[in-house]
Amino acid sequence: MLAPPPLQDPAFKVDRLTVTFPGADAGARSPIMDFSLEIARGEITCLLGPSGCGKTTLLRALGGFARAENTGGVLFQGQWLRAPTSDIVMIFQENNLYPWLTVRRNVAFGLPYCEGTREEKRGRVEAMLRHVGLEAAADQYPRELSGGMRQRTAIARALMVDPKVLLLDEPFSALDVALRRRMQELMRAIWASTRTTFVMVTHNVEEAIMVGHRVIVLGGRPMSVLLDERTDAIPKDRYAPETLALQRRIEDLIESRRV
Amino acid sequence: MTRAASLAPAIFGAGTLALLLGLWEYLGSGGGVALTSVLPPPSRFISSVAESGFRIGLGSQAAPLAQSIASTFFRVFAGMGIAFVAAIVTGALLSLSKVATWCLTPLLYVLAPIAPIAWIPTAIVVFGISNVTAVFIVFMGVYFILTIATLAEIRRLPEEFTTIAGNLGAGPVDRWFRVVLPAILPGVFTLLRTNFIAAWMAVLVAEMVGLRDGLGAIIMMGRNLFNNELIMFGMAIIGVSGFIVDRLLAMIATRVLWWRI
Repeated sequence: MLAPPPLQDPAFKVDRLTVTFPGADAGARSPIMDFSLEIARGEITCLLGPSGCGKTTLLRALGGFARAENTGGVLFQGQWLRAPTSDIVMIFQENNLYPWLTVRRNVAFGLPYCEGTREEKRGRVEAMLRHVGLEAAADQYPRELSGGMRQRTAIARALMVDPKVLLLDEPFSALDVALRRRMQELMRAIWASTRTTFVMVTHNVEEAIMVGHRVIVLGGRPMSVLLDERTDAIPKDRYAPETLALQRRIEDLIESRRV
Repeated sequence: MTRAASLAPAIFGAGTLALLLGLWEYLGSGGGVALTSVLPPPSRFISSVAESGFRIGLGSQAAPLAQSIASTFFRVFAGMGIAFVAAIVTGALLSLSKVATWCLTPLLYVLAPIAPIAWIPTAIVVFGISNVTAVFIVFMGVYFILTIATLAEIRRLPEEFTTIAGNLGAGPVDRWFRVVLPAILPGVFTLLRTNFIAAWMAVLVAEMVGLRDGLGAIIMMGRNLFNNELIMFGMAIIGVSGFIVDRLLAMIATRVLWWRI
């Protein structure tokens, strides 16, 4: 396992985390045992790895949704994370939006729990809709939206409550290539304006390199870090030799670990 | 879908109905045929009731038709409305406790298949001959099925829905009222509509065997007076009223509670 230098001010410190499964899956062997990792504040970290390696379970643990054994866990800003918190908002692959609410109402869903006057909140919603390019679709329902618009709505709604961390579980996997690339650019633009910490699970290596500041490849049983690479220095050009070389290296690594 | 194509079901449905009515009218106007006396055609039973100014009954006890319709509608809607709310509340409370669900689910499945009509004798003994009896019968015919449906709808709710709401700051009560309730309403309402026919039949039977007013009572009055026109008129009004209510419920399902999870 690689051992990167400790971060100065991590958003998350995963410390000897072992995840157990509840309910019907109780007793199933968890891929996450005695796992440690640090995730930096204010940047986009992408988690890659073969299917079933445990990256989504890790993401859920970062959101406070997974059941961790007492031997370790996740430290969020120096505090043990024992339950979900509104500081960390998760965006799923699907079922993100409430179908009975319009885009505007979906985006405003978390506002009753935020501070501010009604007028301020209304202004924030309109500004956010403009920011993600959904002002024209504000009165439409999710069933009337394309996949990309639905995910933009979900991201906008998450950002409305001003979270410290946004966790994204394969958010663009259902989109076609062109739309997926537009969403990647939008995500970079949103990050540039908010500097929110993003942690994204994806299967798409190119996406991880294009969007992330740091790419972590996970794999093995129990899960470990196979590769931890900073991608700041790599040009955000999918055809640049550095991008293609890293993409090839990661794909080969994942392929070699696929069961 | 073009406008013509969307109207096709209504046109074909109305056409078939008109054809059958025309055939009935033609056969019934022949005179002397058994059909005329046993199944008097619409022109005969409508004109017969119209002669009495659409008042049903004998002498001073005769009541306007609208009153009978209103009585039946009140009983059905009150029973269904109370059952709908009670089923959602029960389902919600049961969903909070696994032990409660385990304890009460078998009871729900034992009571649900009992036809609402079977409750009529018990209801008359307990509540007497009153509106409460009719409302109770409708309630019993719908409540258990809807409670089971509520539990099923809550169970099949995507976990993400409540997770996201909690993540955005909603507490347990808000999660229930802002997410779970709107998510399950269309599914439970669809079953309410499916069970409307059972509730409708139950209240009519209750009116026929016990209560002295309502659409069901019109048919019994016709039987007691050997008045086939009145019987046919009662049946026609029951059919048309039931059809209108079903359309109304379908409209609520498609226009108000249109979303699907």
